[in-house]
Amino acid sequence: MSTMRVTQRMMANGSVTQLQAGLSRLAKVQEQLSTGRIVNRPSDAPTEAATAMRLRGAVQEQEQYARNAESGLGWMATVDTALSGMTTSVRRARELALQGANSGSTSPASRQALAAEVDQLRAGLISTANTNYLGRPVFGGVTAGQVAFDSTTGSYVGVPGEVNRTVAQGVTVRVDVSGTDVIGPNGASLFDDLDALSTALVGGDTDAIRTAIDSLQTRLDAIGSAQASAGAAYNRAESAVQRAKDATMSLGESLSQIENTDLPRAMVDLKLQEVAYQAALAATSRVMQPSLLDFMR
Amino acid sequence: MSGSMSSLNTALTALRFNRIALDVASNNIANVSTEGYTRRRVVGESLGTSSVPALWSRYPGAEGSVGTGVGLRSVDRLNDPFLDARGRREHSAQSYLNVRSVVLQRVEAGIGEPGDTGVAAAINDLRGAWHDLANDPGSDAARGQVIARGLALVDSVRGQATNLQTEMADQRGRLLGTVNEANTVAQELGATNKAVASAALDGVDASGLLDQRDQLALRLAQLVGGTATQRADGGMDVAVGGVALVTGSNVGVLQVAGGVTPTGADDGSPVSFAVSGSAGTTAVPAGLRGELGAITDLLTTTLPAYADGLSAVVATLADEMNAVHAASYDRTGGTGQDFFTYTPGNAAASLQVAVTSRDQVAASGTPGGSLDGSAAAALGATGQAEGAYQRLVAGFGTEVASVRRLASTQQLLTTQVDSAREQLSGVNLDEEMVSMLSAQRSYEAAARVMTVVDSVLDTLINRTGLLR
Repeated sequence: MSTMRVTQRMMANGSVTQLQAGLSRLAKVQEQLSTGRIVNRPSDAPTEAATAMRLRGAVQEQEQYARNAESGLGWMATVDTALSGMTTSVRRARELALQGANSGSTSPASRQALAAEVDQLRAGLISTANTNYLGRPVFGGVTAGQVAFDSTTGSYVGVPGEVNRTVAQGVTVRVDVSGTDVIGPNGASLFDDLDALSTALVGGDTDAIRTAIDSLQTRLDAIGSAQASAGAAYNRAESAVQRAKDATMSLGESLSQIENTDLPRAMVDLKLQEVAYQAALAATSRVMQPSLLDFMR
Repeated sequence: MSGSMSSLNTALTALRFNRIALDVASNNIANVSTEGYTRRRVVGESLGTSSVPALWSRYPGAEGSVGTGVGLRSVDRLNDPFLDARGRREHSAQSYLNVRSVVLQRVEAGIGEPGDTGVAAAINDLRGAWHDLANDPGSDAARGQVIARGLALVDSVRGQATNLQTEMADQRGRLLGTVNEANTVAQELGATNKAVASAALDGVDASGLLDQRDQLALRLAQLVGGTATQRADGGMDVAVGGVALVTGSNVGVLQVAGGVTPTGADDGSPVSFAVSGSAGTTAVPAGLRGELGAITDLLTTTLPAYADGLSAVVATLADEMNAVHAASYDRTGGTGQDFFTYTPGNAAASLQVAVTSRDQVAASGTPGGSLDGSAAAALGATGQAEGAYQRLVAGFGTEVASVRRLASTQQLLTTQVDSAREQLSGVNLDEEMVSMLSAQRSYEAAARVMTVVDSVLDTLINRTGLLR
């Protein structure tokens, strides 16, 4: 600035302006330190602000995916336990059938006993097939009712439909197993087979017992494959939880890089601005002092 | 041949002149920090020298050949009209940008993004609630949560809309106040013009009036922009947007022609102004500067643009959700209704959650009241609205940042011009000390001349012819 003439007011105004500028820089750093964020409003860095908003949304979304998958895990664990129980029961029923088919060594009385046990197993299986998770039968599809199978006839009363969990953008995992896939359709279901077996045992109908053994084996296979696919879904959901948590971490880190104050740097900045402000104050106090008056008698 | 007393008279003119110089210096010192004061300088002229050299140039002792003392030619007011005009222009641009920047920063603070409490967070929360409902479609809690989060979103959107409306109402009030002030200043300027003109006729020193005139013209430039031109009689004419507001002592009245009612309400039309004077009413073309220009631009362009943008985002969100929600089935098995309702054209301020009972929340993609959650999962997925809102906020942020930058750049320019004016017109105490000292010394010297002449005369009158 090539100034030819300097007046006292120019210097006073200049000092005030400079002090104000120094103070506002100090206030800026102070804000960054006290909020812990460098993007406190969109105009601080418009592009970063938009990115920060997007990242915040993404973090929340990933947390939600993790929550979704975790809520599916409980459902699938229940399904798995129920299917294991069913396998044991059906296997036991098949053993009983094999015993009953051995007509030479069984008396009518003992076949009666076998039939009674089969009936017990059937009742137990119906109850297992109606296993609830948080008030919903896990094999009942999307039914609003309390049971998937009628507790006496064993016929399917659920509403076919998938229970899904969204575990990532556009990715869903089916957490339930269709009741009819496991038990079989009405009329040819596991419970119908067990009914037939019980009748055959009472009547000593060896052919019918053999038919029942075959169909029980088919059911065992169906239950096994349902359990396998439920297990695979469980693994998917579990890895989805992990993925979503990893994503939450890395997105949070990106967000922090964009939004958060670099503390050491801000501290150094604060110190610098403080020194600059003090220097401006000191200079002002010195500069405003002397005038010709000081040197006149 | 000059008379014997002529030197006494010459010394007397010097005493008088130096008294004036001292007066001016002391007046300058007194006004060292007066806003708008322009320093004065004494200009002297030597008396008695002839403009026709040949007539009086005989020497020695010819009358007037050595002059008969010093006289006051003028007391100059040290200003530069061009620099003043430049100052008015820069101050007008500065107040335009300052008002704009302050208001936009206030609006921006009300948006509250990026953060955990703004509209973006409310949208995310609502999406999350839909996901939770998809996980557990039968749950009353999840259904209630969807409605509650919907209401929270409505609150935060309406909060922003209300902020904008409040700001616009404030600015309308301020517009009326600014117009009033501009009219008052214009009246004062007219009165000052009249005084300046009559002072010029009377031959009275008008420096003080001219200071006042320049300050009023500057204030008017800060308020409404416009151009000021100096009149031959010393007054200042001001035209706003090309329409004469002040012509000498003839002052028009700046009026709000449309956009704001006298009570400060919005009348629906764009803001416009007119000047009514003796020659009738003339409309002022758009594009005012100064504070009034900033308020006009905020009211007609900037704030409505953001409000419309917000409404568009809200309408997109509501339409997206309604489309899915109305095609789904609620807990009783019936077809869903719209989730949100709003008045088209003003979605942000009129948004409401239409669903009132938990049963009406449609989570199922299949009819019949089954516990299907596919519709809720679809509603939980991110849609168009989030991106649109981010773009809106980032766009507004860019505008605020740019206005802030422009204002601080303009500040540099304004400061520079101000300091150039101060450099010319400001009072420097050292300088005044020096002129005070020199006036003092000159006064002393002139007094000494009197003593000497007196003693010469004493010799001549009292001693001549005496013999001791």
